Amino acid sequence: MPSKKNLWVVALLLVLSLVAAACGGTGDDAGQVDTPDTGEVTKGGVATWESEEFAFTNGFDPTGEYLGEAWAVMTNMLLRTLVSYPHVAGAPGNEIVPDLAEDLPEVSEDGLTYTFKLKEGIKFGPPVSREITSKDIEYAFRRIATESQVAQYANYYEGTIKGLEVGKDPGPGGIEGIETPDDKTIVFTLTKPTGDFLNRVAMPATAPIPEEVAKCFTKAGEYGRYLISSAGYMFEGSEDLDISSCDTMKPISGFNPTKSQVFVRNPDYDQATDEYRQNNIDGMEHRLNTNTNDFEQKVIAGDVDFVYTPTPATLRKFVQDPELKQRLYINPGDRTWYITMNLAEPPFDDIHVRKAANLIMDKEGLQRAWGGPTQGEIATHIIPDAMLNEALAEYDPYPSENHAGDEAAAKEEMKQSKYDTDGDGVCDDPVCEDVLQIGSNTPPNTDMLPVVESSLEKIGITLDSREVTDAYTPIQTVAKEVPISIRPGWGKDYPDAFTFVGFLFDSDFPCTGNYNYSLVGLTEEKAKECGIDMPDEPIPSVDKDIATCVDLTGEERLNCWAELDKKLMEEVVPWIPYLDAQVVFGTSPRVTKFEFDQFAGHVAWSNIALTEVANE
Amino acid sequence: MGRYIARRLLYLMMVVLIITLATFLIFYVMPPGDPAVAFAGKTPTPEVIEQVKIQFGLDKPIHVQYLTFVRNIFLGDEYGWPGLGFSFDTRSPVKEELFTRAAVTMQLGFGAAVLWLLVGISVGIVSALRRRTMVDRAAMGFALFGVSAPVFAVGLFALFVFWQQLDWSPGTGYVPIREDPGEWLAHMILPWAVLALQYAAFYARMVRGNLLETLGEDYIRTARAKGLSERKVIGKHGLRSSLTPVVTIFGLDFSLLLGGAVLTESVFNIPGLGQLVISAVNRSDIPVVLAVTVVAALFVTFMSLVVDVIYGFLDPRVRLS
Repeated sequence: MPSKKNLWVVALLLVLSLVAAACGGTGDDAGQVDTPDTGEVTKGGVATWESEEFAFTNGFDPTGEYLGEAWAVMTNMLLRTLVSYPHVAGAPGNEIVPDLAEDLPEVSEDGLTYTFKLKEGIKFGPPVSREITSKDIEYAFRRIATESQVAQYANYYEGTIKGLEVGKDPGPGGIEGIETPDDKTIVFTLTKPTGDFLNRVAMPATAPIPEEVAKCFTKAGEYGRYLISSAGYMFEGSEDLDISSCDTMKPISGFNPTKSQVFVRNPDYDQATDEYRQNNIDGMEHRLNTNTNDFEQKVIAGDVDFVYTPTPATLRKFVQDPELKQRLYINPGDRTWYITMNLAEPPFDDIHVRKAANLIMDKEGLQRAWGGPTQGEIATHIIPDAMLNEALAEYDPYPSENHAGDEAAAKEEMKQSKYDTDGDGVCDDPVCEDVLQIGSNTPPNTDMLPVVESSLEKIGITLDSREVTDAYTPIQTVAKEVPISIRPGWGKDYPDAFTFVGFLFDSDFPCTGNYNYSLVGLTEEKAKECGIDMPDEPIPSVDKDIATCVDLTGEERLNCWAELDKKLMEEVVPWIPYLDAQVVFGTSPRVTKFEFDQFAGHVAWSNIALTEVANE
Repeated sequence: MGRYIARRLLYLMMVVLIITLATFLIFYVMPPGDPAVAFAGKTPTPEVIEQVKIQFGLDKPIHVQYLTFVRNIFLGDEYGWPGLGFSFDTRSPVKEELFTRAAVTMQLGFGAAVLWLLVGISVGIVSALRRRTMVDRAAMGFALFGVSAPVFAVGLFALFVFWQQLDWSPGTGYVPIREDPGEWLAHMILPWAVLALQYAAFYARMVRGNLLETLGEDYIRTARAKGLSERKVIGKHGLRSSLTPVVTIFGLDFSLLLGGAVLTESVFNIPGLGQLVISAVNRSDIPVVLAVTVVAALFVTFMSLVVDVIYGFLDPRVRLS
């Protein structure tokens, strides 16, 4: 509850921010809110954040955890990796920088060997409090390779690092492709050139882990409550963890998985070794609160500091109130929302139908269904612009005025389809009637549906839409043969397009749990394996294009992905991409410096700052 | 009576088993998706899903999973007795979390029960004794409002008025009593009041109806004819029989509440069983859902046993039958 003194300070801040707004101006568009320039940052204060649930996928154990919010906390506050990101917004936030390593690695000419040298003087936090060595990093990789730890993105390392095979005991010599000639050197040998290898060793699973603690936890996710810090903060109560034996270890008090996570400064951390984390705040509390309205109001009132993706009603308040608007932060989320079309199912087995569907779609209407430009910019291709260094920012193969759909162009395209026998630009084949569509039974899908249906009707396609709680299960099951779905969206794992196209268009997909919903590259063999019929016309594959891009680095790699994106949009046409999602945060007036972590798509906890009010 | 209690205990066990079987089938067999997928990350390979299944015990045949679950309840598991399993979500034993949450729900339930019994019975008596007066109409108006108003709406309204506008309440959240008894009380008053409102209203209507019916009985007329004071007629003869059904209803209401006051806990952000089960359902954390179901079922069946036994003492006709 704010005291009267606090209210005065808050009121003063409000006045100051209004004056600042008057002098400096604000973004006119809700999607273009400026970050207030508050000059020098204040050190101190405990940031607070409330949400309905943690939603961890692996109990916050870095080996398997696959949640962006968790990565933001881990990489900003708890874990340092050989290389990392600068924890800032935009393209600079996607740049690889040395972290535990003294510098970027020495790479052999054939691109197969990466040698890292570690900085001196970096220690684990309490109660371990010893210098981090290359063996602690090697141990993290051994955990990734341990089947029972269920490393959820082990696929980035398995088959890439020589000898790293999940479930295969590497033996006393350790993993063949990881050498630690001394405590400060680690050498990786790869099986093939991998242009994004540095992105892969910037993932939280590769951060050093003290074996003396983690060896006690053999089940996936258990180590999450005993996590030992290597960065500027740690769980509150870490110093009380008795690591004298496995039996004496009890969960660290600062992490209650059904209540809160509390972080305090790590006394063993040396700021001089870290160029990219300012560590302004004294700590952070992430609390669970089942009443969304309650914690959103608390942020508006200044009692809690952050709200992530506010509900539409609260977002409206933030956008419409000039004072609150100063506290709204919108950043690109590197996530594309799209309508997927199944290349093996009529009428979408015809590329002209897929192109016509792209041309006719009222993307502006879909954006409105999502809540307007605040939620995202209209997407015109597959890979988010920030990941291609804006190379395709102006690219739109299916243009229309205000992105509202071009009926004439769509009908021209449809005329070329085998399903338009009379050539009037409208599908007249029965396959276009009552086409099964699976979507979610919650907004924004429910609000999108009328827009999609009325758009497709113009070219003769009518939908038989099913709105279900879990739309992903049927569309991920190949045998269900779902022709179209408005449900999907995809976000990056790390800032390289491989984490998009590598998963989404790989022809070697599983029959259940498949992410290549369009079945790009479907072969007769795969169709048989999954129990579906192969369409008459062959389905294009981009496997070779992906393989080509994967080997490249730098500008060449970016261009390769951009060309592949264009090929997918024009020659394969598996999707109707419609929204480049944005990430929205509302803050309390105590937040004097907001920073967005582009890699994690969340708050850059290491680079925000609060007023001193937060200390009270 | 001993045989009666033994028979009821046996019956209690059977009911609990049937409930666990039903819950097990609902959450393990009926969902279209695989629960393991939810905990296998964003792009799970079949190998990762298989590993998750092994760790969660989902790789075994469904009847084996169920029998293991039942056996663990009675004999305990690696985390002690009763064996309630390991949470998929928090990766920790369900038991300790469940007991902590149950204690919070009990605090909420006891406080609210005291309030609703006090208010509900008092209002019901006053209303019956002042039948067709303004007091009666006002009381029944209150009762109608209390019964009709959804608890979440009342809760949000109460928070808006007493916290955000008047600043009389510290708002949402829970402070353990051992940490700060004053803050504990301050945080519990509003949830108690909101939760009690609905029950109090219902009890007021019930007590009023029962009392009015009782007061029309022949033995009440006889008592009055014998010259007993009105106080004795109502207090000794009228209330005793009109309150007897309240015992039955209270037992069931209270036991249901101990299974989790889902809405009240959600609105006031109280970490009780209701909040736990909502989160578990959302996260497909089946062991937690099952454990809460078992505990809730135990509460209900046990309380109904207690009520029946008490009822037997209060009303000899029940004992004889």
